Amino acid sequence: MLWFERQVVGALMSPALDPSARADVESYVATTLRSMPEHLRAGVALESIALGAPSWLAHRAGRLDERRVRTSLDRWKASKVDVVRQYVRLLESLVLFAENELVPSP
Amino acid sequence: MTAPVETIDTEVLVIGSGAGGAVTAAILARAGRRVTVVEEGPWVDPDALEPFSLPEMVAKYRHGGSCAALGRPAIAYAEGRCVGGSTEINSGLYHRLPPDLAEEWRRDYRIDEFGTDALDRYADRIEHELGVSRLPGAPPASSAVLERGATKLGWRSVEFSRVFRYEQNGRAVKQTMARTMLPSAIAAGARVIADCRVARLVRRRARIVGACCTQTRADGSVRALLIRAEHVFVCAGATQTPALLQRSGIRHNIGRGLKMHPTVKIAARFDSLIDHGDVPMHRVTEFAPGLTIGGSASRRGHVALALADSDADYADALANWEHVAVYYAAIRSEGSGRVLALPGINSPLVTYRLTEADMSRLARALVHLGEVLLAAGATELYPSVTGGIVARGPEDLVHWWDALTRNRANLMTVHLTSTVRIGEDRSKTGADSFGRVWGYENLRVNDASLLPEAPGVNPQGPIMAIVARNSDQFLSAV
Repeated sequence: MLWFERQVVGALMSPALDPSARADVESYVATTLRSMPEHLRAGVALESIALGAPSWLAHRAGRLDERRVRTSLDRWKASKVDVVRQYVRLLESLVLFAENELVPSP
Repeated sequence: MTAPVETIDTEVLVIGSGAGGAVTAAILARAGRRVTVVEEGPWVDPDALEPFSLPEMVAKYRHGGSCAALGRPAIAYAEGRCVGGSTEINSGLYHRLPPDLAEEWRRDYRIDEFGTDALDRYADRIEHELGVSRLPGAPPASSAVLERGATKLGWRSVEFSRVFRYEQNGRAVKQTMARTMLPSAIAAGARVIADCRVARLVRRRARIVGACCTQTRADGSVRALLIRAEHVFVCAGATQTPALLQRSGIRHNIGRGLKMHPTVKIAARFDSLIDHGDVPMHRVTEFAPGLTIGGSASRRGHVALALADSDADYADALANWEHVAVYYAAIRSEGSGRVLALPGINSPLVTYRLTEADMSRLARALVHLGEVLLAAGATELYPSVTGGIVARGPEDLVHWWDALTRNRANLMTVHLTSTVRIGEDRSKTGADSFGRVWGYENLRVNDASLLPEAPGVNPQGPIMAIVARNSDQFLSAV
């Protein structure tokens, strides 16, 4: 999983999750991304690099926090560009499914 | 140093072990043929994992369930990758090929001996052997919802049969290929090799002489295999069968004309608790076969995904997920797609183009699905459309007509077909009336790829009947 994908997954996870559950969810997302068809994985990775570049620069400058990533995700989720919208949908789906299947009901 | 290649000799090589491969293997092995089945995925005990759970997705689904046909919009799809193929992961709903469709295909693709009478004979045999039946008691609440809504609207609905047997203690057991046809094939002498991927077929002029494979052992080591065979049946499903043929240099009408049932979903919230252990058996058939309405797996994870698809605030609905179930409407699409093997890459590129008429049908499907769920007493409907409003009454549904656009629709499918169509019209088909690939004496396709169009119903029944017919024809001809 690439650096920005880890930031996105972190921002999408429920803040109520304990560290062990967060690690389980992140591990599931990483496994699923790894097992995707190669061309789809390459597309997602390219998007992660392109969309994540500003966040990486902010991170280098010490100005990146989860809220900033969350704001970007909300904007991309409503994007008119299909691949951008689908990027968020994919990662959000993986996180949601894992959160709700791996973590016991409260 | 390259590991030495081990060689296996067999009379019939069957590639793939799903509804196509398992039925082929069982029929040929019981007829005394020496059969070897290779399956890319692992052998997983059918009782080991909870149906539709995350561990099942990881173990039995191709790419962990993360596949998509590219297009506008992209369409997510799921298929099995384990011994038994997609029969291990589907809902087990069973339907025969509608007679008018069989006639249409026979005429349009010039398929010999494709009458309903003949297909029904094979369907009888399959149903008897597998145990196709209806639920012995009253349907669960999630299924009764569809019947109740349809009755209120004056629409037709049907409880579908399933490939299930019911034990004396009431336990329902899905009759997957790993439980039925494959053990039968093995008992008749067939050999099944799991975790074995076929890289390409070996051609010698108009014959296939073998297949180059790699098998991954339990310890993770890999062995190279050359399986030499007198006859080869490719039964790897509608995406993998054409990809393997293309990788082997066989391309005439292979991989074109992909068909599917594009599907929209709604997460429906009710005042009362809804069961989540099974997939609803009822279907609303008022608009079939062009449009079918049914229910999906609704574990907590699926409910969360379906709620999130609408992009509305769903926190309260998710907190009460036991009151929510997921339903779908699937269309017969006039669009089509393509499967293309890419050099140096294991996974084929899958694309699908929906027509404007398809988009219109999907919008109509979504509205009809909303109507039936509201009529059944649903209080909130979350459509699988980004930005689609949550409907609480019939007056809200009108907004969905315009909401479902290419940029906002979140679509999926589980039925892929038609990438190596059968028939005597060589301009449209990749194989003859019985699945023999054009130009090759001993190479046959026997799976969902053969269906000339998407059937508008769960395809497992039609696939098994056609596969059984083709297998019998092989036995009589060879």
